[in-house]
Amino acid sequence: MSKEAVIFKIGWNACINCGACVAICPQEAGFISAFDTIAVDTPCDIACMLCEDICPVTTITHVAAVNGNGVF
Amino acid sequence: MPPTEYDIVIIGSGPAGATTARVAAKLGLRVLMVDKRQELGAPIQCSGAVSRHALEACGVIPVAEFIHESIYGFGIYNVAGEKTTIDYRQLKPSEYGHQNGQKPLGYVVDRRRFDRHLMTLAERAGAEVWLKTEGLSYQTDGSEYCQIQLRRFNQPIQVKAKVLVGADGLQSQVGKWAGLRTHIKITELASCLQFIVDGVKTDGLLEIITGHHWAPGGYAWVFPKGHGYAEIGLGVICTMTKKNAQWHLDQFMQQSFFKERFQNARILEIQGGGVPLAAPLRTQYAEQVILVGDAARHVNPVTGGGIHTALSGGVIAGEFLAKLIKSGAPATAENLKGYQDSWLDQLGHKMWQLYEEKTQIFRTDDIDERDRLLFQTMSQYFSPYSEYKKI
Repeated sequence: MSKEAVIFKIGWNACINCGACVAICPQEAGFISAFDTIAVDTPCDIACMLCEDICPVTTITHVAAVNGNGVF
Repeated sequence: MPPTEYDIVIIGSGPAGATTARVAAKLGLRVLMVDKRQELGAPIQCSGAVSRHALEACGVIPVAEFIHESIYGFGIYNVAGEKTTIDYRQLKPSEYGHQNGQKPLGYVVDRRRFDRHLMTLAERAGAEVWLKTEGLSYQTDGSEYCQIQLRRFNQPIQVKAKVLVGADGLQSQVGKWAGLRTHIKITELASCLQFIVDGVKTDGLLEIITGHHWAPGGYAWVFPKGHGYAEIGLGVICTMTKKNAQWHLDQFMQQSFFKERFQNARILEIQGGGVPLAAPLRTQYAEQVILVGDAARHVNPVTGGGIHTALSGGVIAGEFLAKLIKSGAPATAENLKGYQDSWLDQLGHKMWQLYEEKTQIFRTDDIDERDRLLFQTMSQYFSPYSEYKKI
């Protein structure tokens, strides 16, 4: 995979906890947050961005992960 | 203290998990069901429509506790607003209606109350249920019992079970633990949003609005929600549009042939979810593990309806597991394949046919022709003569 790892950010104000991002996510088990969304504290090396596409309220964005840590 | 032993441990107390628990416990199995939530059913990710037949066939008596409103038929609209009405009050007045001796065709249920009710039925049948309990992992070592790690109110707990049942929804972690191919294609997961509203009239019909213009890849709906409320929602396939579900729902409410009807709509609740318009999982079992409900993708690929299929899958799973475990046979993947075979015979093969039909429609490149096919299929699907009526 040539894509660079990313860290997802969720705009919690718009998130409706629908779970669609986790449902579409190709990551292994456990790539989830305490609020039943995709993980927001772990770099994603797949970076397919399907979670951003499926979100009914478009509240997922990402930043590049640097050395396994996000640039915040 | 050694870990407590159960015949089956179920992760997730939705309609599928709670039905598996109820049926298995009633047939004499030692059942533990866990759910990580503090209240079941929430956040709501479902429109709540289910037929009376589905409830009764799965041993759930319809009661006021969970019914928002009774349903008597369907109104199917094409993109321009032309309507096919399938009102069972007119088609079969001797059977369907509000009067004594007449019955509803189905219901829109309150998922919070409904899921709690199904859990109660499971507990009354003898299942143990722990809320605020999350499944973390499981291991098999070739022995009769697998080990399951749970966390309950922050407390780590280990239990043993002959079979672990993943009823943990579309986002199933159990399926991933077991290495099953649970991944769904982006072209087959509808991104859905719905508003519960005041100020919009309904008439006992589930209204379904087709047409690429309103809901590309899916459809829009207006359902009665009880107390004079309605539910307006839609699902879209995001590869077929550049806009999100929220934009399409706003567009549908403000621009469609229903804009006058919706002009006084006041939003009371906002809900969403991913609804699979996909085939069932090809493999729904592994060593000492089965999946049921959304986790196994037991969802109607044409309507996106999943309550009936979850309840039916739960009955099939509960009955199968009771028989297998009482026979003393080990819960190997080979033996658990029988669950999937039984499910395919009773429901799955028809769901595969529906999937083929749905795929044909959305493979059609010409939008007008695709709209025509979807409207026609939906109109036929809900007719009294449909071969799929009971799915």
